[in-house]
Amino acid sequence: MGIRVGVDVGGTFTDFLVKDDQGAAKVYKTSTTPEDPTIGFFNGLSKAAESVGLSLEEWLRQVETIVHGTTITTNAVLTGEGAVTGFVTTAGFRDVLNMRRGLKERQFSIYAPPPQLVPRRLIAVANERVTADGAVATPLNEDDVRQAAALFREAGVEAVAVSYLWSFLNGQHERRTKEILEEELPGVYISLSTEILPQIRVYERHSTTALNSYVGPVLNRYLSRLQTRLQDFGFTGKLLIMQSNGGVMSPEVAQRFASNTLLSGPAGAPQAGIYYGAPHGFRNLITVDMGGTSFDVALVRNGLPSVTTEGSIGGHRVASPSLDIHTIGSGGGSIAWVDDGGLMHVGPKSAGASPGPACYGRGGKLPTVTDANYVLGYLDFAGGELTLNGGEARRAIEEYLAKPLGLSVVDAAHGVYQVVNADMAAAIAVVSVQRGYDPREFVLVVAGGAGPVHAGPIARELEIPLIQIPRESSVFCAAGMLLSDLKHDYVHTYAREFGSVVLEDVAAIYQNIVNTAVKTLETENVSADQVVIKYSADLRYIGQFNEVEVPAFDHGDFSAAALLTLTNEFHRRHDELYGYSTPASPVEIINLRVSALGVTEKPIADTHVLQGTDPSAARTGWRMAWHEGDWVETPVYEGLRLFNGNIVPGPAIVVQPTTSILVPSDFELCCDIGNNYLMYRKGEDVAELIRKLSTGESQ
Amino acid sequence: MSTNASEIQTDPILVSVISNRLDAISKEIGQTMLRTSRSPIFSEARDFATGVFDHRLHLLAQTAYIPVLMGSLPSALHSIASAFEGDIAEGDVFVLNDPYRGNNHPPDVTVAKPVFYQGRLCFWAVSKGHHADVGGGGVVGYNPAARSVWEECVRIPPAKLMVAGKRNKALWDMILLNVRMPWLVEADLECQMGACTVGERSLRALIAKYGMPVLEDAADRMLDASDRQMRAALRNVPNGTYRAERFLDHDGINKAQMIGLRLALTVRDESIHFDWSESDAQVAGYVNSTLSNTISASFQAIFMTVCADVRYNDGALRALSVHAPAGSIVNSLEPAPVTTCTVVTAEAIVEAVWLALAQAVPERVYAGWGRWLAPSSMGMNPVTQRHFGDIHFMAKSGGGAAKGFDGWDHMGTVITAGGLRSPDPELHELVNPYRVLEYEYWTDSAGPGKWRGGMGTSYRYRVEADGIAAVNFGGGVNEETRPYGLMGGLPAPKSRAVLYRSDGSAQEIDTQSFFNLQRGDEVHLYVTGGGGYGDPHERDRARIEADIADGLVTPEQARQNYGVK
Repeated sequence: MGIRVGVDVGGTFTDFLVKDDQGAAKVYKTSTTPEDPTIGFFNGLSKAAESVGLSLEEWLRQVETIVHGTTITTNAVLTGEGAVTGFVTTAGFRDVLNMRRGLKERQFSIYAPPPQLVPRRLIAVANERVTADGAVATPLNEDDVRQAAALFREAGVEAVAVSYLWSFLNGQHERRTKEILEEELPGVYISLSTEILPQIRVYERHSTTALNSYVGPVLNRYLSRLQTRLQDFGFTGKLLIMQSNGGVMSPEVAQRFASNTLLSGPAGAPQAGIYYGAPHGFRNLITVDMGGTSFDVALVRNGLPSVTTEGSIGGHRVASPSLDIHTIGSGGGSIAWVDDGGLMHVGPKSAGASPGPACYGRGGKLPTVTDANYVLGYLDFAGGELTLNGGEARRAIEEYLAKPLGLSVVDAAHGVYQVVNADMAAAIAVVSVQRGYDPREFVLVVAGGAGPVHAGPIARELEIPLIQIPRESSVFCAAGMLLSDLKHDYVHTYAREFGSVVLEDVAAIYQNIVNTAVKTLETENVSADQVVIKYSADLRYIGQFNEVEVPAFDHGDFSAAALLTLTNEFHRRHDELYGYSTPASPVEIINLRVSALGVTEKPIADTHVLQGTDPSAARTGWRMAWHEGDWVETPVYEGLRLFNGNIVPGPAIVVQPTTSILVPSDFELCCDIGNNYLMYRKGEDVAELIRKLSTGESQ
Repeated sequence: MSTNASEIQTDPILVSVISNRLDAISKEIGQTMLRTSRSPIFSEARDFATGVFDHRLHLLAQTAYIPVLMGSLPSALHSIASAFEGDIAEGDVFVLNDPYRGNNHPPDVTVAKPVFYQGRLCFWAVSKGHHADVGGGGVVGYNPAARSVWEECVRIPPAKLMVAGKRNKALWDMILLNVRMPWLVEADLECQMGACTVGERSLRALIAKYGMPVLEDAADRMLDASDRQMRAALRNVPNGTYRAERFLDHDGINKAQMIGLRLALTVRDESIHFDWSESDAQVAGYVNSTLSNTISASFQAIFMTVCADVRYNDGALRALSVHAPAGSIVNSLEPAPVTTCTVVTAEAIVEAVWLALAQAVPERVYAGWGRWLAPSSMGMNPVTQRHFGDIHFMAKSGGGAAKGFDGWDHMGTVITAGGLRSPDPELHELVNPYRVLEYEYWTDSAGPGKWRGGMGTSYRYRVEADGIAAVNFGGGVNEETRPYGLMGGLPAPKSRAVLYRSDGSAQEIDTQSFFNLQRGDEVHLYVTGGGGYGDPHERDRARIEADIADGLVTPEQARQNYGVK
C-alpha cells in the first residue's frame, strides 16, 4: 500500500493529511486559492514532497490514492456562478422549480428571495404527460423539445436539466428528450431526473436535477484541469472525490452526478470520528466541528453516520441522500450582541476572517467568541503568526456587552462563553435527542480550531460522559476522506400499501438497482468481494406525508416475514422519533433505497507506546484563566509533548499548533494510544468509560 | 422547590439561555406535528401553530407556520384552564374547538397538555392545527350556507381527551361519530398529543436542570425583555391616530353586500391600540370574526412590519391592546357562524392595519397580498377507495411589494406570511381524485410598481371521480377587495374561479359558495398577485425587460402601466 493523501479545500485553508504505508501521518496546510483551487492543491502536494526531500514528480509516483474534497460546486451555487442552465419540464408546470413550494423562510422579515438557478426565460415546457399509474396520457411532443433546444442554443446554454411529472414511473419521455437534445446541442451537459433522483415530489426532483446541471460543467472543467495536471506530474494512482453522502466516487462518476458534491464540505467529519474512535471500539459518536463562522454537528450510530434527504443549498433543495449534518452560525468569529430587550445573543453574524475578531487587531470592533475566550484566558494565539490584542478584545466586550448588560467585562465575556455553549449544546440535541437518541450513550468527538475550548461545558450540559479530541483535529475532514468508502445511493419510488406490495416486483426493482450499482462500482475498479449492498425503504402510515427510512431486507431476503420485520421496525422508529406509534394503522411503502459501497482499504492507525501518567514534562508555564467565577493560576501544557498515558487534571490549558484545549476544573484529560486526547469528568475511571461506550449497540 | 422566588436573581445570561431553550422546545413540538400528521392540511400545508405556556398561563414561546393561528393560542388555553380549574391532573390532555369558548374557529382544534413535575403543574405544551374534518354541514369545515355555528361543526367545549393518562373513550367516540373521516381526525388528534408529549419530555428535562423557581424568574425576565424590545421597536413609529377601512366581498348569504372593517389605530408612547368600533355589525354568514381571531390578526400585522425581530410572547404583547365591540363583524356573538374568519376577515384586518400604519411608516409596510380564493373539497376517491378531504393549497396568491423589494411569488394569503408550503402535485394526485393540468404563474397578475407585487397562480385541475362536494371560499373578487398598491404602486387584478363542465359549458364560481363536481369537470383558478409599491414609471428598466422576457409581464401591460414604448 502506497501513500494516501486527503486534500480538503476549505474557505480559508486547504488541508492535507498524508499517510504513509506504515500509518504515520503528516499534516500540511496551504492557503486556499479561490480563483483556481488547483494552485493551492499543488502547493500543498509540493510541500509534502519537499518535506521528504523529493521532487513533486518523484513523490507523486509513490502516491497510491488522493481523496479530494472540493467546494467548487458549493461555491458556484452560493455565488450564483454556475453554468447557464436551461430546464425542460411538463407543459403546465413551468414555475414549480422557481416557486420553491412557495415558502418564505423568515416569515416576519422583509427581504429578497434567493436567486433562481434558472430564470423563467430558460425554462421550456414540452407537451407530454405520464399519469400517476405510469401510463402515457399525452405522448411527448418532440417539436417542443426541438424548440427548446433552439431557444437554449440562442441563449448560449451550457447545461440542460430535464424533469417531467411522474417520470420516475415511466422514463421514456425524458430519455427521448435527451436523445433530441444531444442531437441538437452536442456537447451540452444534460441531466435527467430519472437518472439523478427518480423519486416522487416534483419540486425536490426538479431542484436536485437542476442543481446537477447548474454545477456539472463547473465541476467537469475543474476535474479535467486537475487530472491533466496530476498526469503531467506523473501521477498514476487513483483520484477519488468526496460526496455529500460521506462516500467517495471516481471523477468519471462525479462528472455525471456533480450535485452529489454540493454538501460534501463537512462530510468527512463523521468518518474521521469513526477512525479516531476505532482503537477504542467507539461506534456511537457525535462529531462536532467548530470553525470561524459555523458549528457542524453529525451523529454516528453503530458505526453509521446519519443520513438525510432534506438538504438544501442557497435556498434550493438537494433531495438526494447526504449526511445529516446540522449547522448553526456559531464559530470563533461569531459576534455577540445584546438586543433591545437586554438579552444576549451570539451569531449568526460573524466577523469572518476580515476584519475578524477585535483581538486580531485588524480593525474589527465588535466582540466575538474568540474575544471572549481570549479575555477569559483560554487562548493566547489564534493559530499561525497572528498576535492577539487583549486591549481591543476587552474594549469590544466592555462597550457592546458589559455596559448594556450592567456586568463586569469578565462576566460579560463568560456570558458569551455560556450562551454560545448553550447554543451548541442545543444544536447537538437537534441531531440526538430530537432524533430519538440519548446523547449520554455517545462519545463527543471535537474538531475545528475553536471546538476544544468549548467541549467541556457542552459535554457537561448534555451529560455526555466522554470527549475525544484528535490531535490533528484541525484537518479532521481531510482525515475522514481518507477513510471513506466508495458509496452510491439509489432510490426508486414504489408507492404501495403494504397489503398490495408484490414481493417479486420489489425484488426486481432492487435487483435492477443493484445491477446498476455494481456496474458503476466496476468502472471504479471495485472487485465483487469489496461490494456491500444495503437495502432500505421509506415507510409511512397511510395518509402521512412524510416518511421514515427503515433498513430493510438484509441479505436481499424479500420474504413476507422480512416485510413484517420491516413494518415492526417502522413502528418502533416512529415511536422513538415522534413520541408515539399506531401499530393498528395501515402502513405504506413510498421509496425503495439502495446504498452500494465499494469498501476501500483503510490506512493503519498510528499507535504509540505507553509513557506513564505524569504530564509535567509538557508543562510550559502558567496563565491566569477564569474558572468557576474566579481567576485561577492555570497550568499550560504543550500538546505535542503529551504522550500516551499522560493525564492532565483540570483546570489546565493544552496548547496545540492550531488550537487550544480547555480542561475545566471538573474534568481531566488523558492522552490515548493514538496520541489523541480523551476528556471526562474527574473521578471517572476512563478505562471503564471506554468499556461502557464501546460495547453494546445504541438503541 | 421551596425556594422563595423573590430571592432568585437569574442573571441575564441564564435568561438568554433559557429563552432559547423554550423556543427550541416549541419548534420541536412543531417538527413532530409536521412529520407525523395524516392530513395534508397539517403536514403538507403546515396549517398549525405550537406554543409553550407556564402554569400561570403566560405565553413563553411559540412556533407558527401559519401566523394567524398564534395569537389565538392564549385565549384557547385560558378557556381550558378556567373550565377545569382545580381539576387538572398529570396525564390529562385537553381539547377545544368551540369558537365561543376561546378558540379562533372550529377547524383549528386546540390540544393542550399540562406538564407536571414532581406532582406540580409547571408548564403547558399546546398545539393547534386545522383538521380536515370537524363535522357540520360544510366541506372540510367550510359551510357558506351556515347561519349558526351548529351548522359548521361538532362543537367541542374544553374537554379531556385523556384523563390521567387514560383515553376518555366517551369523548373520542362522540367526536369520531360526528365526523366523516374519523380515521383522519383520530390520527391527527394522536399526532397533536404526541407532539405535546415530545414537548413535555423536553420541558421536564429543563425543570430537572434548573428547577421551577429559576425558570419562573427567568420567564418573568424574558417577558420583561420582550416588552422592552417591543417598546423600542414601537419608538420608531410616530404618535398619532391613523384610520383605515377594508371590505369583505360578502358573507355567502347576502351576496350583494360588502362588509366594512374600520380601524382607528392609535400609536401613543411605545404602545398601539387597535380600535375597531366603526366596523359593520355581525352578519348572517360565516365571515364573522371571533375576538380571538381579531386580536391575532391585528397583532400579526404588527409583527410582520414594525417589530419583526421581537419574540412573540406575552411580554411583547403588553404594548398592544384591542377594542372590538361585541356584536360586530370583528367580535360576533354566539351563535353566529365564523369559519372563514381566519382567512377572509383576518386578511381584511391585516390590510386595514397596514394601510393605517402606512400613514406613519410607509417604508415599513407591504402593499396588499393577494387574498385567498380556492375551494375545499371532499368525496370518495375511487382509486384509493378512501374518503378524502383537502383544500386546494396550490392556488396561492402573490405577496405584496415593499420599499426596495418586489413581492414574493406564489406565497398564499397574508395570514400565512409565506409559511404555507405548497403541496406536492404528485402526492396530491395520489391521494385526491384530481389531475393537475396547470400550475404556473399567472401572467400580468402582479400589481405594477417601482417594486412590483409577487406573482399569483394559474391553477387548473380535472376531476376524476363523481359526486365531489366543494366549497369555494375566500375573496378578492371585487374592485375594493383586490390587493391594494402603496405609495403610487398599483393594485393587482381581481381573482377568479371558473368551472368547465364536461359538456363544454363554463361558469364563474363565486366565492363563499357550494358547487358539485363530476368526472371530467375542470376547475380553473386565477389567484391574483400582490399589490405594487411606488410609481411603476420609476421601475428599473432592466427589471421590466427581464419580466417581459420571462413572460411574467406582457408587452401590453408594460406599455400601459410602466410606460414602456
